[in-house]
Amino acid sequence: MTTVQNGSRTTVNVNGTAVEMYSGGNGPPLVFFHGAGGSNGWQPWHEDLATEYTVFVPSQPGFNGTEAPAWVKTISDVAHFNHMFVEALGLQDIVLMGSSMGGWVSAEMAAMDDHNVDALILVDAAGIKPREGEIAEIFMVSSETRLKQRFHDPSQVDNYENYTRELTPEEQLVVHSNAIMASQLCWKPYLHNPSLPHTLSRVDTPTLIVWGNEDAIIPVECGHLFQQAIRGSQLRIIDNCGHSPAVEKRGEFVEAVTSFLDSPQISVF
Amino acid sequence: MAHELEVFWFSEQPYGHVTEDDLAPYESGRMHFPNTYFDPEKAHVLYSNYHDQYQLADEVGFDGIMSNEHHSSYWCMKPSVNVDAAVITQRTRKAKIAMLGNVIAVNDPVKMAEEIAMLDCISGGRIISGFVRGTAVETLHAGYPPTENRPRFEEAHDLIVKCWTEPGPFRWEGEYWPHRMVNPWVVPIQKPHPPVWFPGTGSPESVIWAAKHRYPYMNLGSLLDLTKQLKGIYHETAAEEGYEAGPEHFGYLIRCLVADTDERAQEIGRTFLWTENHRNRGPMEFNDPPGYQSREALRIKMSRPLIGTGTMGRRMTYEDLQAAYNIIVGSPETVTEKLRHIRRDLEPGYILIYGNEGHMPHEDVMRSVELLGTKVIPALKEG
Repeated sequence: MTTVQNGSRTTVNVNGTAVEMYSGGNGPPLVFFHGAGGSNGWQPWHEDLATEYTVFVPSQPGFNGTEAPAWVKTISDVAHFNHMFVEALGLQDIVLMGSSMGGWVSAEMAAMDDHNVDALILVDAAGIKPREGEIAEIFMVSSETRLKQRFHDPSQVDNYENYTRELTPEEQLVVHSNAIMASQLCWKPYLHNPSLPHTLSRVDTPTLIVWGNEDAIIPVECGHLFQQAIRGSQLRIIDNCGHSPAVEKRGEFVEAVTSFLDSPQISVF
Repeated sequence: MAHELEVFWFSEQPYGHVTEDDLAPYESGRMHFPNTYFDPEKAHVLYSNYHDQYQLADEVGFDGIMSNEHHSSYWCMKPSVNVDAAVITQRTRKAKIAMLGNVIAVNDPVKMAEEIAMLDCISGGRIISGFVRGTAVETLHAGYPPTENRPRFEEAHDLIVKCWTEPGPFRWEGEYWPHRMVNPWVVPIQKPHPPVWFPGTGSPESVIWAAKHRYPYMNLGSLLDLTKQLKGIYHETAAEEGYEAGPEHFGYLIRCLVADTDERAQEIGRTFLWTENHRNRGPMEFNDPPGYQSREALRIKMSRPLIGTGTMGRRMTYEDLQAAYNIIVGSPETVTEKLRHIRRDLEPGYILIYGNEGHMPHEDVMRSVELLGTKVIPALKEG
């Protein structure tokens, strides 16, 4: 793997679809898949992980700068597509990481085929329906409501004003078009796949599940359900934290990820 | 042969007992407003009144009755236009029955084709079958992804028309309704099939779709200037498609009430603004959930004060709306003159009278139907 400048933007050709990707760092490959809101590009916590890993942050089909091929209509289509993306990059023995909807996609990918995955990290992942609570409504609510649901304590969020400022028309268009794709993928069944808890039984990759204890979108109960579904998986709950631990509790989140990846059970590193 | 003007009666069949105070505490006027405010006994009385109005409209000379369908809406107690149309077939003898229409994207199209064919047979060929995408709430309430509304609508339309026009059994390998065998026993009495209408408000896409299919486009009460623009789009599209559009391709819905005197009409007509700011109130995501419609359509929508426009459009007073010919109330003479203005301005082949709203007294609405049928419509048709 050649060294790349941190956070550089490139495009990767995946069977004729140009995938927008940010990447940077040195070391074994770590691929991160974003949530239903779309990609926020290269983030500070990517920078943190890039000291030990080569971090790949693609925009998934239909989000941001990546077009959706006509056949990509479901989360499992996205999971197949993302496998093609990993193959197109020629990556071996990857750390597969996803947050929220991206966590769901990552779990589906692992359930399909995890022979190339050395570690799986699911962050406040969608994909499993809670038994007690509910996954909050994210589509039929205002953007203000959505933002309130996302963070437990906005004072813990660096540059919070970035989330509240008025968007340029170009940014609005990206947000709207991301929402259309997310709506297409996640509306029904709502943000879950009833088969997933069962298909995950095939996964024997070391797995870390990270969850914000106060996640108001996907209840922490779902973290426990993922842990039950993936044998040998670890659950790390971060207190005083909402749906986006990497943003709201960056230090704790990065520590959780790196200590897991440094542990002896991860064979390759 | 020149198309003769046809005038239709329309009632949204509101549950008129709801007040502003009832609605105010809730996040939205539709999905969040609880159905505990609905009293079936009161609804029974209202339905009877509305059906009496249908019967009278037929007797006094309306050319047709129009009906529609909405869900989770206190201002329209009709969750099934086909059920209402079935009632109309039995309460009227001559009137055409315009259903505007079935929300085909969220229903089984084969069953829709069967039911509409059945209504056409029962009524002796009086059915006009409108197809609608519905408001977004119709799709949300039915539990379908908003992104699927348009492709489902297209497939349902094609399948329904095929049910009506091609002998069964046939195979339909659609994306949403794959059928190995389709063979509806009941087919329409009108050949090749009942007329199809398509309604719209601000969306140019709707006009273009209607014009491409040569279906009459019914504008649901947009301001006159916008309506003329939309009509212009219809004509342009028709020309591109190789035909000339005429009045028979265009109808206009107008809020209208007639009383014996202008004073009385002014008083009752104010009810057209009943709870208007609550009807579609709620998060914008209800009116425009991701994927339901284009940004351009929403922009146009913001510029019009449609019936029940709520917070989506600009605010206009009762007087403003009358001055803009968006609400017409008055004595038979006053109303005839104003409708003549609309007829000259828009040249519609169909005028759809939105003649009832909220808690308007039944007897006043009945009087309005009578005066429209016996005085206004004959005068209007004379020119």
